[in-house]
Amino acid sequence: MNTFDEESLSQSESENENSDLSDGELQEAFSKGLLKPGLNILTDKKKKYVNNVEGLKNCLADFKKDIDWVERLDITKGLGPDIMANIDSKNNVDDNNEVNAEDDFQREMCFYRQAQAAILEALPRLHKLKIPTKRPEDYFAEMAKSDQHMQKVRAKLLQKQQAMERSEKAKKLRELRKYGKKVQVQVLQKRQKEKKAMMTAVKKYQKGMVDKLDFLEGDAEKGKKNPATASKSKSAMNMKGSNARRKYKDKKFGFGGKKRGSKWNTKESHDDVSGFRSKVAHGKVGGMRGKGGKKAVNKRPGKNARKKMRNRSR
Amino acid sequence: MAAFRKKRGAPVEHGKKSAKKRKISNVKPGKQEEVLNENPENEYSIPAPLSLGKWKNKERVLIFSSRGINFRTRHMMQDLRTLMPHSKADSKMDRKDQLFVVNEVCEIKNCNKCIFFEAKKKQDLYMWISNVPHGPSAKFLVQNVHTLAELKMTGNCLRGSRPVLSFDPKFDSEPHYAVLKELFIQIFATPQYHPKSQPFVDHILTFTIADNRIWFRNYQIIEEDSSLVEIGPRFVLNLIKIFSGSFRGSTLYENSHYMSPNLHRRNLRLAVAARLKEKQLVKDVQKHKKEEVKMLVPDDPTHDVFQTPKEKKPAAVPHQHPEQKPKKMKNKKEFKRQRLLKRKNK
Repeated sequence: MNTFDEESLSQSESENENSDLSDGELQEAFSKGLLKPGLNILTDKKKKYVNNVEGLKNCLADFKKDIDWVERLDITKGLGPDIMANIDSKNNVDDNNEVNAEDDFQREMCFYRQAQAAILEALPRLHKLKIPTKRPEDYFAEMAKSDQHMQKVRAKLLQKQQAMERSEKAKKLRELRKYGKKVQVQVLQKRQKEKKAMMTAVKKYQKGMVDKLDFLEGDAEKGKKNPATASKSKSAMNMKGSNARRKYKDKKFGFGGKKRGSKWNTKESHDDVSGFRSKVAHGKVGGMRGKGGKKAVNKRPGKNARKKMRNRSR
Repeated sequence: MAAFRKKRGAPVEHGKKSAKKRKISNVKPGKQEEVLNENPENEYSIPAPLSLGKWKNKERVLIFSSRGINFRTRHMMQDLRTLMPHSKADSKMDRKDQLFVVNEVCEIKNCNKCIFFEAKKKQDLYMWISNVPHGPSAKFLVQNVHTLAELKMTGNCLRGSRPVLSFDPKFDSEPHYAVLKELFIQIFATPQYHPKSQPFVDHILTFTIADNRIWFRNYQIIEEDSSLVEIGPRFVLNLIKIFSGSFRGSTLYENSHYMSPNLHRRNLRLAVAARLKEKQLVKDVQKHKKEEVKMLVPDDPTHDVFQTPKEKKPAAVPHQHPEQKPKKMKNKKEFKRQRLLKRKNK
């Protein structure tokens, strides 16, 4: 223990000395102007990685076994023909067989292709050596994965496929529904438009801008006829400058000119007896004022009469 | 527990093992003949019983691990054992044991190759492969382990059939890769006519170098036109060092691209810490700013030069109540009923 303590002590001392020394050196260097204030960062020592090529070669020569290929079955070969090259542009895969480890799919594809190339070379050699690569249908032996496990795998695959189908179906349905909604909206808009056009046409007719009732007949001809009538009415409106009601009112109440005395009787109006109706004048039509009309109008018997009638029926 | 633990190199056990082996080798030929007799006119010629060939290449691989491995590693180890009929198993090694003890274990088990899994911190897995009596050996960090049991790999192969080994051309480009390739070949190639092996070649192991790592895949050969399906397991080996001896000796190669998982985790942690620290710093600065007293601007004497004061109203205090307005009386209109009454009375 003692020795250990001493050692550690001496170590710490030496460290202190070291650091002091280095500080002094730094100060000296600074005073000489070698050090400049700024970014002075402690850098880690570059680690030296061992790569003893000679040793490796010797080692390989030492432990390499000279045995037939049949025992080893090793094949060193690059990537096989690119299946995806026809489908996909080859920009993903570098020509110098650099595998991009980040891209999962591409990486696995590279491994697959390497295996394929190896197989293509190995199979003929194996056949030459009469080593079978395919077991007969009735050769039963234990497999690496049990039947139970394989069944599980199959079930999983099936489930995946079903899920995919289901999702595909749902997607299609959703799309259809979307399309249907669009169509419905379009139809509704069209109907609204037609209705509006009809209403405006009717209004125009009411105001007397259009004389014809073409718009009632059908939608097909309306499109052709409407512009013509519209233009016509428009021109008429421009010419007259007023509508039918105004005209009527003008006729009735007069428009312009002297207003005083217009309601007085004149000789013509006095002589005009076209408005006389004899029936009304002699009280034959009804009304409480006429003498003769009373009996004819009031069919209900008087109160006394009604009382008597009631008594009689009792 | 301790009572059940096997003792390494116990002679009784050794004898047991050999007896078992003998039994298997006796059984195999009989089975093969049976198959032959049943289907004489099959288009496939069933190979001669394994016993007919001479099992020359006596390669045996010991696959075992240290204590403290997780389930995934255990499964992977089991998978390797199923794929390699020339492998042997042993009980887990104590973590306290020195690594060169592995050599003795191999010797006891009669193995001349070894795959040793070493787990650290219950999360990092290292793999040693070694040529046992006298080197070389290599240490890898194992990453991205997927086992046979995973359902996404749909292939299957015979248990103990011999694999074709496929290597990336990069293995020939550099000496350390060449050493590794030779090691892999000697370890993973199943010897021909091995008593536990099957007479068919129906899967292929690929070793590819990408991203300075070695990627291991296992495919099933389905058709003669080289279509493949992956069987598994798969893992990635990140080389750390190659030693001249077996679990000892001088370092022949050291991977400069390797970063220990501890360092990696530390870097991640430091990055997070730095981010948090910066956030806290910004917060502190903001708080400081808020607390700082705002500079008082001295009153400007010319500020209200142009403001004319409003004229004040004379503060006259009213001493009398303001005159009240006469209340407007409601006109006393009688109700209709009263009016009618009055009229009647008249």
